[in-house]
Amino acid sequence: MAKTYEEINEKIRKKKAVVVTAEEIKGIVEDKGASAAAKEVDVVTTGTFGPMCSSGILFNVGHTRPKMKIEKAWVNNVEAYSGIAAVDCYLGATQLPEDSPRNKIFPGQFRYGGGHVIEDLVNGKDVVFKATSYGTDCYPRKELETLMNIKDLNDAWLLNPRNSYQNYNVAVNRSAKRPIYTYMGTLRPRMANANYCSAGQLSPLLCDPYYRTIGIGTRIFLAGGVGHVIYNGTQHDPCGERTENGIPKGGAGNIAVMGDLKKMNTEFLRGVSQTGYGASLAVGIGVPIPVLDEDVVRRAAVRDKDILAPVVDYSEDYPNAAGGPLAYVSYAELRSGRITIEGRQIETASISSYPKARKIAETLRGWIKDGTFELGKPVQTLPSSESGIKFKMLNYRPNEK
Amino acid sequence: MTQKSAIFHFRPDTVDKPIVTELVRDYNLTVNILQAKISPEEQGTMFVTLQGGMGDINSALKYLKELYVTVILPTKNVVLLEEKCTHCGACVGQCLPKALSVDQATKEVKFNSELCIACELCISACPYGAIESVTEHLARKAV
Repeated sequence: MAKTYEEINEKIRKKKAVVVTAEEIKGIVEDKGASAAAKEVDVVTTGTFGPMCSSGILFNVGHTRPKMKIEKAWVNNVEAYSGIAAVDCYLGATQLPEDSPRNKIFPGQFRYGGGHVIEDLVNGKDVVFKATSYGTDCYPRKELETLMNIKDLNDAWLLNPRNSYQNYNVAVNRSAKRPIYTYMGTLRPRMANANYCSAGQLSPLLCDPYYRTIGIGTRIFLAGGVGHVIYNGTQHDPCGERTENGIPKGGAGNIAVMGDLKKMNTEFLRGVSQTGYGASLAVGIGVPIPVLDEDVVRRAAVRDKDILAPVVDYSEDYPNAAGGPLAYVSYAELRSGRITIEGRQIETASISSYPKARKIAETLRGWIKDGTFELGKPVQTLPSSESGIKFKMLNYRPNEK
Repeated sequence: MTQKSAIFHFRPDTVDKPIVTELVRDYNLTVNILQAKISPEEQGTMFVTLQGGMGDINSALKYLKELYVTVILPTKNVVLLEEKCTHCGACVGQCLPKALSVDQATKEVKFNSELCIACELCISACPYGAIESVTEHLARKAV
């Protein structure tokens, strides 16, 4: 028996929808079978919270009198790109302050960057906005320095080109020499520790591995507010190797998302400092999965033990884009705190927060149950495993001229 | 049964003493060496976790003092700021004495200050600035 989005939304409006989290659905499918679960449950909620580079905000500051066509702009000394129009700017999560010492004293601390500016704005703090330009007849002003608050902005959108990776690498440092400092955290030499970054069985795209219900227009929990999936993310790579149950064995798919920054909160949107690497933004995302049929619910019931992640060496293989995974391990093993690679026991730690992922899935469940959050039917689902899309390396061609 | 992390500093004239053996044999302690760097006739440093009766641990520490071994018992040398912690676990992989660990039921990060050796590796490992040294913490609170 198949259900439609309209039928599910009708139930949501009447507050009669049966909504469970991706953790709860596993037991239901195991106890009652997928067929009964598909009849009983209407929506499964997922969640993930972790550092997500390829995030940023698009904001419109409004005009000064006289007007200005902003050419260069900085928020708390962090540059925002303003080559879009006169007073629109994009501030990226990984952008560093002009005077950041970066990695000059290695490893750098990166205590402030674009992600932290975004956190400050959402916290309602005043920030310093500076801009320069060359002046035109219609936009004569050449310099601007002012305090700015999120509530003064015309528009402030979180606009993230690549979030919520379907699956991800487990990072280790195989070298014997020294600790290495990566976007996957600090990795001690001789594979003393392994870091992973996924909510596993709670993660949105792992609970709908072929994106049957996720696409342009899917309404989502975004950093405490409501947002939408606006497209597949950049580097979307759906055609890689998958396990027998259809779960990708590497990064694979991801989503581009957007939402109103003014409605978000910093419990689910945090600036990130990665020692020796840089700044970023941790984003909380929850995607509701409509139980259209038995296949959807069966896939949403996937467990950590059935999801594999590749173990990758970040001392040589990753930076040089060489070599393959050292091994594949399941999220059940990763979450136990220990994996065995090449006969060695290695301690594991997560870079993404499972308790926050859980809270996001539970919050979204609450919104849908209360009838305040209806599902958005995608106008087009994400390109899937038959799309032929492949993430390519750069085609380097020396410029002889 | 008490568990305590400790740092021992040895002088050149004490590096040749079989101290660990004595702690085990004479004071009934379980000694887990987390890290040690000892050069004969020079000096040495050892990070350990001691497990045993409270009385035995205290007598052992007194004995070490007689041998001119400097003992540092770093308890509560870092502060975990609950309001900033996201419970990801990035710190856990850096913590040799397992003072920071993940609760398997709640998946939350827990801090046991008794086991902390104050190496402060967790401070730079935390992406959210949720761990501070006591010095940093006091300085910030004083402001």
